[in-house]
Amino acid sequence: MPNRFKSGAIRLGCTAVAAALLLTGCSNDSGDTTPPTNNAPAQNLVIGVTSDVDTLFPWKATQFNTVNVMQTLYGTLVEFDENLAIVPGIATSWETSDDGLSVTFKLREGVKFADGSPCEAEDVKFSYDAIMDEATGAASRSSLASVLSVEAVDSLTVVLHLSAPDVVLLSNLAVINLAILSSTDTEESLSTTPNGTGPFKLQERKPSQSLILARNENYWGDSAKLDTIEFRVIPDETSIVSAMQAGNVQLSIFDDPVVAQTAESAGIKIQETSQLAYHVLQLNTVSGPLADVNFRLAIQCAVDRQEVLDTAASGEGEVTGPITAPAFRSDPKARPCPTKDITKAKEYLAASAYPEGATIRTIVSQGEYATSVNEATNVQAQLAEIGITLDLQVMESGAYVTAWLAADFEAAIALNGGRPEPYGMYNRYFISTGNLNTVAGYSSEELDTLFDAARQESDTTARANLYQQISKHLEDNAVWVWLFTSYTYAATTSNVSGFTPMANDSMQYLRTTSIS
Amino acid sequence: MSTGRESWRLLLKSKSGLIGLIITGLIVALIVASVIGVLPYDPITQHAASRMQPPSAAHWFGTDRFGRDIFARVAAGVANSALIAVVAVTFATIVGTAAGLVGGFFRGASDAAISGVTNVLFAFPPLLLALSLASVFTRNWFTIAVAIAVVYIPIFIRVTRGPVLTLREIDFVRAARATGQSRWRIMVAHVLPNITSIIIVQVTLSLSWAVLTEASLSFLGLGTPPPAPSLGSMVYEARTLLTLAPWTMLAPGAVMVLFVVGLNLLGDGVRDALDPQSRGRK
Amino acid sequence: MSVLTHPITRRVASAFGTLLGVAVLVFIMLRAIPGDQIIAQFGIETGDMTPAQIAALREYYGLDKSLFAQFFSWIGGLFQGNLGFSARAHLSVSELSANSLPVTIELAVLTIVLSLLIGVPLGMLSASKRDSIRDGFGQLVGLAGLSIPSFLLGSALLGWASAKFSYNPNGKAFVTLLENPWLNIQQMAMPALVLAFGIAAPIMRTTRTAVLEVRSLDFVRTAKAKGVPPRRLQYRHVLGNALVPIVTMTGLQFGYLLGGAIVVEQIFSLPGIGRQVLIGIEQKEYAVVQSTVLVIALGFVLVNLLTDVVYRLIDPRVRAA
Repeated sequence: MPNRFKSGAIRLGCTAVAAALLLTGCSNDSGDTTPPTNNAPAQNLVIGVTSDVDTLFPWKATQFNTVNVMQTLYGTLVEFDENLAIVPGIATSWETSDDGLSVTFKLREGVKFADGSPCEAEDVKFSYDAIMDEATGAASRSSLASVLSVEAVDSLTVVLHLSAPDVVLLSNLAVINLAILSSTDTEESLSTTPNGTGPFKLQERKPSQSLILARNENYWGDSAKLDTIEFRVIPDETSIVSAMQAGNVQLSIFDDPVVAQTAESAGIKIQETSQLAYHVLQLNTVSGPLADVNFRLAIQCAVDRQEVLDTAASGEGEVTGPITAPAFRSDPKARPCPTKDITKAKEYLAASAYPEGATIRTIVSQGEYATSVNEATNVQAQLAEIGITLDLQVMESGAYVTAWLAADFEAAIALNGGRPEPYGMYNRYFISTGNLNTVAGYSSEELDTLFDAARQESDTTARANLYQQISKHLEDNAVWVWLFTSYTYAATTSNVSGFTPMANDSMQYLRTTSIS
Repeated sequence: MSTGRESWRLLLKSKSGLIGLIITGLIVALIVASVIGVLPYDPITQHAASRMQPPSAAHWFGTDRFGRDIFARVAAGVANSALIAVVAVTFATIVGTAAGLVGGFFRGASDAAISGVTNVLFAFPPLLLALSLASVFTRNWFTIAVAIAVVYIPIFIRVTRGPVLTLREIDFVRAARATGQSRWRIMVAHVLPNITSIIIVQVTLSLSWAVLTEASLSFLGLGTPPPAPSLGSMVYEARTLLTLAPWTMLAPGAVMVLFVVGLNLLGDGVRDALDPQSRGRK
Repeated sequence: MSVLTHPITRRVASAFGTLLGVAVLVFIMLRAIPGDQIIAQFGIETGDMTPAQIAALREYYGLDKSLFAQFFSWIGGLFQGNLGFSARAHLSVSELSANSLPVTIELAVLTIVLSLLIGVPLGMLSASKRDSIRDGFGQLVGLAGLSIPSFLLGSALLGWASAKFSYNPNGKAFVTLLENPWLNIQQMAMPALVLAFGIAAPIMRTTRTAVLEVRSLDFVRTAKAKGVPPRRLQYRHVLGNALVPIVTMTGLQFGYLLGGAIVVEQIFSLPGIGRQVLIGIEQKEYAVVQSTVLVIALGFVLVNLLTDVVYRLIDPRVRAA
């Protein structure tokens, strides 16, 4: 494989994007739905996916592929660009009041849903109110936790009234779970006829087989270059590689480095992207040996993270601290034992209440991602060196998630999702009132104070400083053992251009993708 | 009925039986080597430095993506697969034979109940049955063995119940009943010995199926959980490496096929040796 | 003979009992698998929801009712032709099965035809001269069929065809026989061949044994003595009488294929009924799994009944009676 980009930044296809934007600029077509007739071949892209979408309702989409499809169909008030900076979406500008308690959004003129109806302030209010309504069962209701009320001032002005200043609100609003729906639509109607403001609209769905999207001519931005995108279900990743070799499929996202390597050796282009999601050994500090900070520090010092990365993920990734967002990334060397230190680990262990070591019941999921069990076995082997035994319980993802949510474990090998804004990523775990605090198994007054300060700090540098303090607190107390971040691999055949993979796994740049 | 020694002689005389015995013997030797730990490498310890090396003098079958010695893993894997198959078939044999005996011999309500359960288990798609059972419990080699056993129990019930029905009407059984022996005693002392050969034939056939079923479950992500290798999970995990490191798949794949071939041949030989009907045709 | 005691009535009653047993078994087993549809849908995000949200979702997915109520509303629905609803596909299970069942049946039929085309001649070849080289060859092919797992053969075949010839009809969108017969046959060919390789083996063995057995019977010897030409003897007398075990074995394999083709459906991306169950289990869509398993079981029971009928038609002894 070619040289790996190891610096910790995201590898970008900026030139490709710029070129694609230029090209889209010149090819605005007349607005009918038939493929362009100016001698250009039809632009039909086929994406190989291992599973079908599990819902067409954007507020309930959590699975990787479903989120990606929703992202092409729906729009949000604000969006992320390829650097994960907040850029305008349906809203063109926004302003926070001096006290930080209200945010006013100006909406873009002429935004339409796929059915041609206008997207206005009332729709935004309808959407956010419905998401906050518990009866809706929306996945990201907690993202609007600080919102007291939504006010549609006029057709293009929306004000969010907050209970307290919330600097992470914007990055929450950019997530597709907070998509803006038309106030006339219902979950039932959208399940058959999606109606969003995204660059594509649904053309045809064959459950468990394929989902075909067509260009949305009502899209507010530059028209997509592709006429159609088909998400074709090919359950077996190896079969996807075969289909790409035969030219039936042009794009796919792999998370297994070996599959990517196989595809690359078959002449398929691979772009790797460092992920916000992080691999971690979660420790439940509520009781038992793990309640003892020295015992936890012993674990932290005994684990060589690079070795875990090398053996479990073929070295494809980067050792990480708690914060993975490029703008705030933790220094992986800033921890009690930056490298494996058995002597120190033994000192910590001797100082703990369990100097002889102990057995830790560790849950591991199988099937959700490729490296889990291998990480677990490697950590197990490393901890055996200081007399700590990991009792690995390998489970199906359903059983694993059930146990995980119930905090029914002493330790857990996990791959947790990341977000561009560290507050949004960790508040639910480490604030003592956070929804997942029992799962995280740790809280402290100091952390509560730091998180609260970060939420109210609008100055980026000052906030970065607060995040570093949070990161340090988590590492110094060995709350969890952060291991590494990995890559995902965007595989494209040679005739595909203009696709930029993103660190948050989004496939939003399908809108600039073209095929020759 | 032939005596045990006679059967052995016949088994060794049949070509397939002999070849099957040799192959199975080799596999058993491999299993023993793995279990008593005389192989130079550990099947589970990862060595980042020696990842994906092709076969060499040091690593006969090469190494996998974690630098583990594939020969050691194949040996441990075949041991695991054999363990699962043997436990599954033993369990199925005991439960299935007992149920078939009781149902066929006592008839009546117990037979109706047993036949009902057999029909249900037969109508349930076998792989789906094993798959659902394997998802219910925390997965380890034992729960997988039990899941496979449940799939095979109805086969054993059907295989035994038929002959038992016939046997119970045969003169010597009637005679024993007339002398006032208890029915359980008759069942164990007179009926059971007469269906042993049928059961043995079924056992040898089922062993090879069990190895393949475990492999199919691995393919669907519900086989033996790693890191403990099984032939099925090894082949499945190596499929993605076919072009990069073909040996990672070829070695366990070849051993699996060889193992199943050995068991099948042995099964054929055993059937020829024990089944009076098939012998009669020679 | 009264209608109630007629053998056919009893067969049908027993089939109903069997299906009820399958229904109970699949219902209980699904509930025993950890996790529910909410966790399957939302994963760890479930933990970020309020109790009121969870309650609303439980109601939405019908998980708020007692197990008894769930069971009887499902069974009650079945009798009204309502197999349940898949929130994931936003289709009823009947519609889902109407799409997936024909795929699996087509695959099963093709597989059986191929296996008979391979297995019967091979079995006869083997039996034509016992312990000869031909017999050895036939036995070897049979052994290979029994011993090579279908996922190994399937992946190897697909990977090889794609890499060497850029030929992968299964990488294209699936089409039904009516939509595009030529592409459909290509998409079915490799999976059917892979399955047939495995199923031809027991058919070959059954044919071989049956032919050997029939040939030793008196009437064949008589026919031979009477000077019936060997070819005619082979097809008319021997094969005709060896049909019974072959049909029984074929029926058994067909029934098995209805639920047993999952692995091959997975590799070759065929949207068949096995995959419908597999996805249902992953998504914890209870209604989908329950009703689909029942549909497969019904298919199995029907095939068995049919085998019985055919058996009565072709078995000379039964006919004579």
